[in-house]
Amino acid sequence: MPTLPLVSFTLFLPLAGAALILALPRPTARTVHAIGIATAALTLAAAFAMWLRGVSGAGFSQVEELEWIPVIGAAYRVGVDGISLPLVLLSALMFLLAFIFTSSLRERPRAYVVLALLLETAAIGTFSALDALLFYVFFEVSLVSMYFMIAGWGHEDRQRAALMFFLYTLLGSLPLLLAILGLYLGSPEPSFDMRAWIADPPLDGTAAMWALVAMLITFAVKIPAVPLHTWLPAAHVQAPTVGSVILAAIMLKFGTYGLIRFALQMTPEAFRDVGLVILVLGVVSALYGAFAALAQTDLKRLVAYTSINHMGYVIVGVAVAALAVDPAVRAVALDGAVLQMVSHGLVTGALFFLVGMIQDRAHSREMGEFGGLLNTVPLLGWSFVLTAFASLGLPGLAHFPAEFQIFMATLWTVPAAVVVVLGIAIIAGTFLKALRETFLGEARERWHAMPDMSLREVLTVAPLLVLTVAIGVAPSWVLEVIHRTTAALAL
Amino acid sequence: MSVVALPILAPLIAAAAIMALRRGAPALALGGATLGLAASLWLLGRAAGGPAQTLLLPGLPDLPLRLVAEPLTALLAVVVAAVGTIVLIYAIGYMKRESGLPRFYAVMSLFLAAMQALVLAGDWVGLLAAWELIGLCSYLLIGFWFQRPEAADAASRAFLYTRSADLGLYIAVFILIGATGSSEIAAALNADGGATVAAGLLLLVAAMGKSAQVPLHDWLMRAMAGPTPVSALLHSATLVAAGAILLIRASPLLAPEALLAIGLVGGITTVATGLIALAERDLKRLLAASTASQYGLMLIAVGAGVPLAALLHLIAHAAIKSALFLAAGDFQHARGDTALERLRGVGRARPRTFLGFALAALALAGIPPLSGFFSKDAVIAAALAAPGAAWLAPLALAGTLLTGAYLARALRLLWRGTGENRPVAGSAWMSVGIWALVVPAAALGLAFGPIEALVGLPAPETEATRAMLLGLLAATGGLALGWLVPAGRLLGPINKWAQSGLVVAGGLTAWVGRPAMAIARGCEHLERGVYDAVLRVGRGGLIIARGFQQLERGLYTAVLGLGQAGLTVGRLTRFSDERGIDGVIFALVAGVRAWGARARTLQSGLIHRELAISAAGTAVVLVVLLAMSLRF
Repeated sequence: MPTLPLVSFTLFLPLAGAALILALPRPTARTVHAIGIATAALTLAAAFAMWLRGVSGAGFSQVEELEWIPVIGAAYRVGVDGISLPLVLLSALMFLLAFIFTSSLRERPRAYVVLALLLETAAIGTFSALDALLFYVFFEVSLVSMYFMIAGWGHEDRQRAALMFFLYTLLGSLPLLLAILGLYLGSPEPSFDMRAWIADPPLDGTAAMWALVAMLITFAVKIPAVPLHTWLPAAHVQAPTVGSVILAAIMLKFGTYGLIRFALQMTPEAFRDVGLVILVLGVVSALYGAFAALAQTDLKRLVAYTSINHMGYVIVGVAVAALAVDPAVRAVALDGAVLQMVSHGLVTGALFFLVGMIQDRAHSREMGEFGGLLNTVPLLGWSFVLTAFASLGLPGLAHFPAEFQIFMATLWTVPAAVVVVLGIAIIAGTFLKALRETFLGEARERWHAMPDMSLREVLTVAPLLVLTVAIGVAPSWVLEVIHRTTAALAL
Repeated sequence: MSVVALPILAPLIAAAAIMALRRGAPALALGGATLGLAASLWLLGRAAGGPAQTLLLPGLPDLPLRLVAEPLTALLAVVVAAVGTIVLIYAIGYMKRESGLPRFYAVMSLFLAAMQALVLAGDWVGLLAAWELIGLCSYLLIGFWFQRPEAADAASRAFLYTRSADLGLYIAVFILIGATGSSEIAAALNADGGATVAAGLLLLVAAMGKSAQVPLHDWLMRAMAGPTPVSALLHSATLVAAGAILLIRASPLLAPEALLAIGLVGGITTVATGLIALAERDLKRLLAASTASQYGLMLIAVGAGVPLAALLHLIAHAAIKSALFLAAGDFQHARGDTALERLRGVGRARPRTFLGFALAALALAGIPPLSGFFSKDAVIAAALAAPGAAWLAPLALAGTLLTGAYLARALRLLWRGTGENRPVAGSAWMSVGIWALVVPAAALGLAFGPIEALVGLPAPETEATRAMLLGLLAATGGLALGWLVPAGRLLGPINKWAQSGLVVAGGLTAWVGRPAMAIARGCEHLERGVYDAVLRVGRGGLIIARGFQQLERGLYTAVLGLGQAGLTVGRLTRFSDERGIDGVIFALVAGVRAWGARARTLQSGLIHRELAISAAGTAVVLVVLLAMSLRF
């Protein structure tokens, strides 16, 4: 029985929405936003249908293939497994919320919505591509869209931030291209099929090591890992709220997803050889990000640095998975790493939305200028408290199950690396300080008239908070999907 | 649904209902707590006669969550539920005039649920989760009056201290699950080998944070900025108790090295915080220091290898300390303050409350036949019989002596002198709460026999008579000293030091807080530096690009010149009337011009355009490379 090509449907719906907007002669802002929201809602529905179809154990599910450039073995191949499916669903959700949040935008809305829809296709494409060439195209398109978003709708110092973003992403993505070409040239028959490269890694020895190094550079920029992270705080601070949300919640995952899909799965031997180096990189990233976050006085920069910390844990998880001898331990580490990506998307997405709401009201992000906001804007304040505690890894909220598994597998595999657990105490200090200065204490006269969350804002944040609690209390509904793949993973 | 979950679910549902309805909060909270108490009692009844009841819940892959009602955990559940219910009754009166009550009752209910999850947890993951959640609840409750800076600071400090210490529990749990291959607590209790020494010491670190043991005791005194019912609950059966409960439950796996460390930490704490209590100038802070000191005694008992003594003292202390706090809250309402100076003579104005306070105080001091006498006796006996008796016994006796001294001092200050009294609102509810706790505080000794038989932990060995005599001597001696000699003279030169909390060399702030902030600032400094450097490199790149642009412009001019030359040639050839050539040359010139202009726009200096071009260029390179690869 021919089944509906759900993956392609999910993938190209946003693009169709963008085309529709471009085709309309002179749409009003309302129409544009309505199309954006409707398209994103349909995309989410399609992604949810994908989720219901689920994944089988080993390999990829829901695979759809079309010939593209048969002579060089490039084809349109998409599909998902337990690692990518949660990320596809996360992307679809975050974009819908982003469109809801941004529906009040009146500054060139048409271009903005088209750009965001293009970005959505690029994001879902990056996670579902099974052809390396296709992956690379989506990966690059997302960068261009994000660049325009920062440069076009960013804050006061966007030119410098855009330059930074430009430098890093341009220099960052070329090594991946070289690695892909290397893998292509090494494969027995000319093909860009990622499934073949995973099933039978085409390179070994020095060639594999060079390919791995190239991929690590690209993904370390993207994740971002210390010391290649400098673009992140700048980009986040200057990006518009939705840009920050998409960047943190989805685009950073390109890096960690690539780290697993490409680096770990396509050059497993080389990855194992330098696993300790990558582990150290992850530990340093996590701790450095935590300490840097502790020193921040700007709320948005603070959240940006906590991202570096949380993504550092993902690196640790993947490195431990490579080093672990016991497949069960490897599954624990990868379960944690993948769940951490999802949790970080939800929690940090919510944090950036909330910081954006504060900025919209106060035109400031300096913690020192606030105080007692919990009294002034209780709904916003309590949402922030909940999200902050989720971010610092409180049990019952999304980050705990992920971090617990990562740390546990770390201790079992490389006991010394468990020092990374210090990060959760530092991040606790960071958020307690932020809460103390911004939301607790006496309310300032200046902010008495600050309005609480509007319906639009509640609709944006509420789903994230609900999911944060749902994953924290009962992680099994997500972990089951992830675990099915990680348990069957052969490296 | 198994009844095992009911002590957790009842308050949890109450909390959810309060947040959803935002009315009838006290009744809902009390209903949830009462139902939880009934379920705990039922569980205790079942566990006493039959096998342990277990409930498995889905958790992480291969690590299911598990609730266990066995005699020890069911007994602790009853203690938690009972104290929680009574404190809630009291709170109805105490909180009468406050705003934000739904939040208060919802978090109190959540707190009870989390604490029940902690005592009933049968696996390490669930225990750890509950352990951290009670930290969150105490943050929210200590910071209930978050507008007050001191409450906001105290809440932050309490959470940060306990969270940092919790890292010990995290790592211990990882070690134990790794060593036994299961997350079940019961499985870990039979483990032995090197892992248990490390795990035991790490568990001690976690317990030190929650039970406010030296040097992590400072947060507990500051936590007094929260409402008094919260203090009563925190100190007796929930947050602070969690540390001792963890060690009692884990005691079978503790190695001798860990036991010694636990005993010493407890011994040092009981004396140090006893001295702090003696020097305190605030009634609630005095009681807080006393709490740390009493948990020190429990740790001595665990360290001596007699967790039963610790358990008995924990139960007795739960009733006594909550009674003391509730009475203190009554005094607080009568005088509008908790400073001992402002509370002088309040006992005469509120004699009923004072009687309750005095009974509980004497029980804590260890005067027969009140409950504390029996439990403290067990602790001292344990210390005397322990391998490390030379250290533990003197410390335990000193702690007992100090207990008597600071309590007698408080009683004297509350009774003597005069002050201005105010009418106390909600007094009836508060009295019910106080006396519902004073009675068990006095009479719980009767229950110790059945409890010993129930939980089946090893009883203290012999030395009973000596322990009793020494204990009585220390208790009465302490009471006499405290009543007769002013604290300033008793403490002599260390009085000032004790008043400031016996801080050694700046305390944790100097040893941990400041270095952490220094590292953080260092990172931030580095960040700015790297950012500027990268930006300079980027600008350098742009300058080079501009150089190319100049070059391009030169080329353009040259090409244009060439075109002009061509044009001139064209003009010349026009005379030859060969229109065909003429046309070609014109086309050439136009073409050159257009290309020149296009080349110019390429180097526009606009980054976004360059980015788009680079993407297109990449695509071209890609295609070329692919085409080349085809020929391999």
